[in-house]
Amino acid sequence: MAGLAETFTATEHRLANGLRVVLSEDHIDPVAAVCLWYDVGSRHEQPGRTGLAHLFEHLMFQGSANVHGNQHFEFVQSAGGSLNGTTSFERTNYFETMPAHQVELALWLEADRMGGLLEALTQESLDNQRDVVKNERRQRYDNVPYGTAWERLVAMAFPAGHPYHHMPIGSMADLDATTLEDCREFFRTYYAPNNAVLAVVGDIDPEQTLAWVEKYFGTIPAHDGKPVPADGTLPPVIGSEVRETVYEDVPSRSLMAAYRLPVDGAREADAADLALTVLGEGESSRLNTRLVRRDELAVYAGFGIMRLVGAPSVALLDVKASGDAEVEAVDAAVNEELARFAAEGPTPAELERAQAQIERGWLDRMATVGGRADELCRYATLFGDASLAFSALDRVLDITGEEVRAVAAERLLPENRAVLVYELPAEDSDDGSDTTDTDDAEGQAA
Amino acid sequence: MTQTTMVFHPRPGAGPEKSWTFPAPDRTRLANGLSVLRVHRPGQRVVAVELLLDAPLDAEPEGIDGVATIMARALSEGTDTMDAETFAAELERCGATMDAGADHAGVQVALDVPASRLERALGLMADAVRAPAFPADEVDRLVRQRLDEIVHELASPARRAAIALYGELFDAAARISRPRAGTAESVARVDRAAVADFFAAHVRPATATVVVVGDLDGVDLDGILDRTLGRWTGSDAPPTEVAAARTDDAARVVIVHRAGSVQTQVLAGRLGPDRHDAVWPSLSIGTYCLGGTLTSRLDRVLREEKGYTYGIRALNQSLRSGALLAITGSVETDVTGPALADMVAVLKTLAAEGLTDDERDAAVQNLVGVAPLKYQTSRSVADSLADVVAQRLPDDYLPGLYARLGAVATADASDAAVAGFDPERLVIVLVGDASQIREPVEALGLGPVTVIE
Repeated sequence: MAGLAETFTATEHRLANGLRVVLSEDHIDPVAAVCLWYDVGSRHEQPGRTGLAHLFEHLMFQGSANVHGNQHFEFVQSAGGSLNGTTSFERTNYFETMPAHQVELALWLEADRMGGLLEALTQESLDNQRDVVKNERRQRYDNVPYGTAWERLVAMAFPAGHPYHHMPIGSMADLDATTLEDCREFFRTYYAPNNAVLAVVGDIDPEQTLAWVEKYFGTIPAHDGKPVPADGTLPPVIGSEVRETVYEDVPSRSLMAAYRLPVDGAREADAADLALTVLGEGESSRLNTRLVRRDELAVYAGFGIMRLVGAPSVALLDVKASGDAEVEAVDAAVNEELARFAAEGPTPAELERAQAQIERGWLDRMATVGGRADELCRYATLFGDASLAFSALDRVLDITGEEVRAVAAERLLPENRAVLVYELPAEDSDDGSDTTDTDDAEGQAA
Repeated sequence: MTQTTMVFHPRPGAGPEKSWTFPAPDRTRLANGLSVLRVHRPGQRVVAVELLLDAPLDAEPEGIDGVATIMARALSEGTDTMDAETFAAELERCGATMDAGADHAGVQVALDVPASRLERALGLMADAVRAPAFPADEVDRLVRQRLDEIVHELASPARRAAIALYGELFDAAARISRPRAGTAESVARVDRAAVADFFAAHVRPATATVVVVGDLDGVDLDGILDRTLGRWTGSDAPPTEVAAARTDDAARVVIVHRAGSVQTQVLAGRLGPDRHDAVWPSLSIGTYCLGGTLTSRLDRVLREEKGYTYGIRALNQSLRSGALLAITGSVETDVTGPALADMVAVLKTLAAEGLTDDERDAAVQNLVGVAPLKYQTSRSVADSLADVVAQRLPDDYLPGLYARLGAVATADASDAAVAGFDPERLVIVLVGDASQIREPVEALGLGPVTVIE
């Protein structure tokens, strides 16, 4: 189970204006990815302006000094490329995957908006993209069952005032309140070459590519006025369970929870990833075996991990109850499995399976030039060293069963979780098994 | 660091283009009749395997819709030598995932595994089709689990819309008019005997194909196949026959009432020509121009001008016989009427004025140009080849298609899109709050409007 360090290499460079550049060659297919990470996410937003980082990401596709209207999309797609951008708590990324002979175009486009966005930004494009983003929110959060569950859990796991208390999508009211000047100020503060990492990966000539990067990005002025983001440090354990019960007309009852985990980059975060894989990833995971296969309490039971650098990472538990199964029984089974795991740790066979699953997932991620470019940007932006991407798998495979057990014992505890319970509205449910009610009127939808 | 103003440069042109052709598969046949398509993809360390079984949904016995889905899932619930939990654990020990599902064209089993553990994982896949145990208690559990899933699917606006459109569009006697994985009534009738009977009737190597894609350097694939899927035996019965689908696409609107919806899910569709038809390349270009991306005609108006939606798309998607031509997206509840009016106006403008050469060129450059990107991974190549096999097209269909796409004339793309997306022949399904959207939709005169729960 060798890692990827012997297969891929990368070089790092820095322009005079502070832009960091990562190049990685691979000539198997005539394709190349251009990926740009800006070190800005929803954690940098101010109170009353949630959703601004993501809304701004949309505005980056509305034209810049020499790119009119939707031409960014048109130029890339007509060149046979694909493109998009995404916004998370900790960063905003933009990426183009291009046929190799069109890489220069993608670099020109990214430079034009890094240096010249404000020349094209208008009230009209802000108003239009505000409506689009509100429809994105409706489609992905408000019009689907359990659609606001993670938003509610994140708000419970990270207290009010914490930079990760709100999700990148933001609130409708804050989106409505955002002004053109907010957007301009956001751009001037965060969209600077010295706040970004650019990766170009694939069928490239590194010398030529670096020359293009210098030509197009080299004269964009640096900007040093970025405020230090609010400190996201929290105690490792919440202290006592936070619980909210929502009464909604959803397909089935549900138990969802968020547990604080070690910050990404630490060995303990990799150990937590393995623990969650053994417990809640795949058909033979402990939760699936117990809740779905044996007890038939659930139609789905699993764990996911959200790795974070500026705040505790988060374990996300998701259980959708089967038929008439009660949340109380689901909860008891989950807690029992977690307690047993914290005491015993993984069996050698379980650890081997989890490592093999993580290895395949990692190989999948690295199978495309776009996937590799994104990982290189991630390690460069969040950990200061792009090449850590190629040894990430080796670090996970180095973790011992005892480390996996220890992190579960320390973190996967009832007193370290925010719990969100979905119950059916009163007229449809046979009896109220919920003993703890919400302390937050926001949760009531019945 | 004294620079204060950016120096802008003119937009650069393209460098010299490098050649690329769709990876050509090698076709062989094992002694047991199993067809094998293999593609060597250097650098792709995860091997993608796709096994196609000639067990289409229209072969399901009357009244037990969903038996193909339950059978597909039950393949990994234990074999002659392993119980279900052991089988799952062994697969995961290989770092593999194996997913089986049933669709109109047949049952497909997808296996992804690092090349270093290919033989072990293919051995498990072979056991699953060679000697599945179908334990009665596991089949019963899968049935109960499927019943739970149906409740969740019905709460999803997109799934509700698809179920309603197929039910409305297709002849009620045809299997394709009903949900792929069955209804609560039909799934409840599935048991071990039904699963075993369906397996015995339709699963055999002679009518199956396996597609294997990945970095096969140093992999003795012939030897591995002999020792795994080569041990599978079965009768020599002929492949199933494909029957043409009949539809009623007279323009009309069906509202699936979903109280309190803040958006209306739109799915407007009909049956059109499939990949066997010579018009397919033109239709693909025309469909892209209409709604393939954010800068296509529909999103240009509904998203980028009006802000009614996060995105609306037109698609042409091959079915077992014919293809679904559809427009799909969700719009804010309050603007459902205006959004539909704009959608129809876009179609009417297209019919009146046709496409421009610039639009055609952009579509061709994108659809043909993205191929090397699209087919980077083993899985994407395997999926596309599996579709080609399932649709009974020749192995060299995809390279031929890319050549034909490049040669499509603007007028032909226009004609195909106009004929395909004729507003007089579109069934429009809306999943939303009928109390808010019914009146504005009726006022548009798009055909009779009915409301269902």
